Amino acid sequence: MQNPSPNVEPDLQADTLRRAAIDRSVKGPVLFLLTNGAFWLMASTLLGLLAAIKSFAPDFLGHASFLTYGRLQPAHINALVYGWGFQAALGVMLWLIARRSGQELRTGKSLMMVAAFFWNITVTIGIGCILFGGNTSLEWLEMPAFTWPILLFCFLVFAWPMVSMFARSHRPEGFMISSWYIFGACLWFPWLFSTANICLHCLPSLGVIGSGINAWYVHGVILLFFVPVGVGAAYYFIPKITGQPIASAQLAKTGFWLLAILGGWTGMQRFMGGPLPAWMVAVGAMTGVLLLIPVLVVGLNHHLTTLGKHNLVAVSPTLRFVFVGSIFYPIAGIILALISSFWTGFTFQFTHAWYGYQIIAVYGFFSMVVFGAIYYIVPRLSGCEWLSVRLIRNHFWFSVYGIGIVVVTSIVAGMQQGGDLTAPERWDQSWISVVLNARPYLIARAVAWAMITWSNVWFLIHLMLMVAGLGRRSSAPTLLERHDDHSDPHLTHGAKA
Amino acid sequence: MTDFRKLTLGIAATFGLPWLLLIVVPAFKYQHLKPIAYDKEADGMDGYYPQSNANVLGLQVYLREGCVQCHTQMIRPTQFSADGWHKGWGEDQAERPADATRANTMRDYLAEDVAPLGVARVGPDLANAGYRLAAMDRSMIHAMLYAPHSVAIWSNMPSYAHLYKVRKAQGPKSELALPLSGKFAPAKGYEVVPTPEAEQLVDYLLSLKKAAPLPAAALGTLATAAAAK
Repeated sequence: MQNPSPNVEPDLQADTLRRAAIDRSVKGPVLFLLTNGAFWLMASTLLGLLAAIKSFAPDFLGHASFLTYGRLQPAHINALVYGWGFQAALGVMLWLIARRSGQELRTGKSLMMVAAFFWNITVTIGIGCILFGGNTSLEWLEMPAFTWPILLFCFLVFAWPMVSMFARSHRPEGFMISSWYIFGACLWFPWLFSTANICLHCLPSLGVIGSGINAWYVHGVILLFFVPVGVGAAYYFIPKITGQPIASAQLAKTGFWLLAILGGWTGMQRFMGGPLPAWMVAVGAMTGVLLLIPVLVVGLNHHLTTLGKHNLVAVSPTLRFVFVGSIFYPIAGIILALISSFWTGFTFQFTHAWYGYQIIAVYGFFSMVVFGAIYYIVPRLSGCEWLSVRLIRNHFWFSVYGIGIVVVTSIVAGMQQGGDLTAPERWDQSWISVVLNARPYLIARAVAWAMITWSNVWFLIHLMLMVAGLGRRSSAPTLLERHDDHSDPHLTHGAKA
Repeated sequence: MTDFRKLTLGIAATFGLPWLLLIVVPAFKYQHLKPIAYDKEADGMDGYYPQSNANVLGLQVYLREGCVQCHTQMIRPTQFSADGWHKGWGEDQAERPADATRANTMRDYLAEDVAPLGVARVGPDLANAGYRLAAMDRSMIHAMLYAPHSVAIWSNMPSYAHLYKVRKAQGPKSELALPLSGKFAPAKGYEVVPTPEAEQLVDYLLSLKKAAPLPAAALGTLATAAAAK
């Protein structure tokens, strides 16, 4: 891509040069965000491993206050969400929207670097506070109250140029479902974040409504930030690599608007049977189940787009990660429906299934798609190719199996726990038997996090080498398999923006 | 550009509706719940419901330590779960409670900024921990927080040893000293005593009593009664 061959037609060459100029214009912020995100992912994985061990062996590594499960677990989730998730999302969003709108990033680049820097500092301080006594115990908002205005401001520094790039887009004729999703994420998140923080930190005596708003926020960030970014990226990379247009524009639009309509209502079903007004819980449960429709619509569209090109999943690292992420997406939707409906929800309520849902949404779906995007974007920005097929394979398989184990064991543990807690005939069993029944699953979770740690160590090293410009000097991308019978997908189809 | 306007308006409308109806209106509507007086005729008792509020100082310790990660404070109705029948989860501490503990209502969390309903139920529910723990000696509650394994060997609750001080025993044994034995006991000549934070945490746990009878005025029409302020 960086070295167009001399025999390409002139307008194609101009196109390639224009894309290279766009890539250059976003290089600094995107690489900064992705690299720092990868460091946070490493930190989150280690915290997750430690928290999983502590959940069945609380004496492990002694009794230091910052090593108790109640502090490690929120630190792990916050590092995953704000350290890795948001930075990786912003990096991919910025690159995608610049490419899709056909514009170079002209202004605000230094401000972005400052914002990204402050984002990292703030998350570091926030997670330090969680570990050393500033935990607010508001789910996904455990960092102390002073962090949120800074994070919001940093986010807006990125969101504003993205929105304006989208508004000034050069390609009104093209169908831009990826840009729609990313534009949506730029709007939804600040809205959700400021509402939740103002309510929870500034309004006194909310009582259970506060808990409801907190649950709404968590579902909102998943459904209206991580999902749009992941789906938007998948809508970009699947057609790009397979070389086929999105199967149905109608399905794509339907999926988008249904998500927009339903996403804001769900969340409060987390406290079903609880003290919240019944209609709020019921609306959440209903939309939680109805969300299956947009999820399956998107899944169907991706499936139809990939149809006939499945051999490329084995070849292209990008497509392989995006493909698996897109399979995790409908599974996450089904899990959400299971924990939301009144029929099954009471069994899964307050069990490990909730953790399984968070991990499949943020890691299984979103992060896998973003990994795919990173394998595509970084070579174009750093000017060198990924060093080792083995490292990519290693990253892929250990991630898939690790996440798979975390999710499956969490759901099964949830069924076990739920049965123990809700079945009327078990009303008189001792609490310790409930604890012991869940224990094997927690041990499996620790093993799974160890596998994910292994995969992330190599991903981080690989990415750092790339960012340092120490990748392979070649015009041919690193592919997982090489067949003589079909050409290089990244080269042939990379030409279409 | 039409796409841009259409999208902005569409997103504002589709998200604005739940934002307003589900978050903003209820947040202001339910913020000023007031206690309800018991009616002597209908309820057979005096005073106000709720009868006690959670201890605020101890709540800070509870939140800081992340207890919500494993402990809920929410009894679900009996038609959906067995919560109300578990031993010690209500006011009645009998092996087999005569009546199921009632499900919680909004006023049970009165004056709490954000009710700590909990993330997961790895440990037992604490909505009515106050009744359950009142049966124990205060120093035994401390011993449970200091060394959970001294109470249940397979417990996966962390030790909150950082809320306690190990100090040299001077003179007669302090009445605050934790009753620890075996491998949990401190070295000879030393004793374990709670810090003020540990005392606040225990005060908080003892204040968790969310099973007081509902006044007749609140039964059946909780949501509307709440709105009436």
